[in-house]
Amino acid sequence: MLTETTLMAGEFTVEGPLRSIPLPFLEGILGEENACIAESVVTQWVVMVILGVVFFILGRNLKLKPETKRQAAAEWIVSFFVGNVETSMGTYYKKRYAPYIGALFCFCILSCLMGLFGLRNPTADVSVTGTWALITFVLVLWTKIRTGGFKGYLHSFIEPLPFMLPFNIIGDFANPISQAMRLFGNNLSGMVIGGLVYFALGSFAIAVPAVLSLYFDLFSAVIQSYIFCTLTMSYVAMADMSE
Amino acid sequence: MDNLGFVMGASAIGAGLAMIAGLGPGIGEGYCGGKAVEAIGRQPEASGSITRQMIIGDALAETTGIYSLVVALLLMYANPFIGRL
Repeated sequence: MLTETTLMAGEFTVEGPLRSIPLPFLEGILGEENACIAESVVTQWVVMVILGVVFFILGRNLKLKPETKRQAAAEWIVSFFVGNVETSMGTYYKKRYAPYIGALFCFCILSCLMGLFGLRNPTADVSVTGTWALITFVLVLWTKIRTGGFKGYLHSFIEPLPFMLPFNIIGDFANPISQAMRLFGNNLSGMVIGGLVYFALGSFAIAVPAVLSLYFDLFSAVIQSYIFCTLTMSYVAMADMSE
Repeated sequence: MDNLGFVMGASAIGAGLAMIAGLGPGIGEGYCGGKAVEAIGRQPEASGSITRQMIIGDALAETTGIYSLVVALLLMYANPFIGRL
């Protein structure tokens, strides 16, 4: 089935939504078809290593009064996220959610930038964005139960009126799906359009794909990462029933 | 005409038709951006929070367009109808 649909797009370089790397040394254990790993997972490992090294270097030898530019940069990054979380979610969530939101934002941006280095963008894989949206879903669920109690959580489904029950249930599940699809759709559409332009221009592919890549891999990626984090923050803040 | 060719051609037309839904988010986001500029013109000191709200509004307006894009991509790359032939 997949080969037929790939044929439809000719010699097109973007091979559908998933690409995998074969692992020949595991063939004996897992069988020939299962012995592969998704390329987005490998790219995420690269991103993790880069982020880990960068933040380890930034966070070493901190002084009470900043003396080095390194510490000034680290403090700027931390205060940026703490300030952002405080304006979106309030002071209670400031210390609790700033590390998660900061990590998510950095990871998301760096994943999108991997497209510039010829690696596959992990956020163009629906299982990656789906996982992040699932984390948001669990956080929202936890916040609802923590602030309103389990009874209050169940009662929130029949507010304001009991006949709203099906709409509330659908609304609960639509949020993570639309959040995952938004990031996935934006980044995959960038990849597909870039691939189509490369294919259409053939050997004349000069400068035009670079402009497209600048828009999709830099501008759109930063905006979409920001939107993903902002939506996570506002969903959790809206789930708070204590006010 | 064989069945496979018909299904693939109809899927390509369907993918193109699905992307007509891009009209709605385009109009909505333009309206949203225009209103945000108006609001900033009236209250320049609140431009930070207005921009944040505008981006959230844009993201919500974009959802329908993203759904249509996903449908179009499904029809092009992971066509469910070819498997049923």
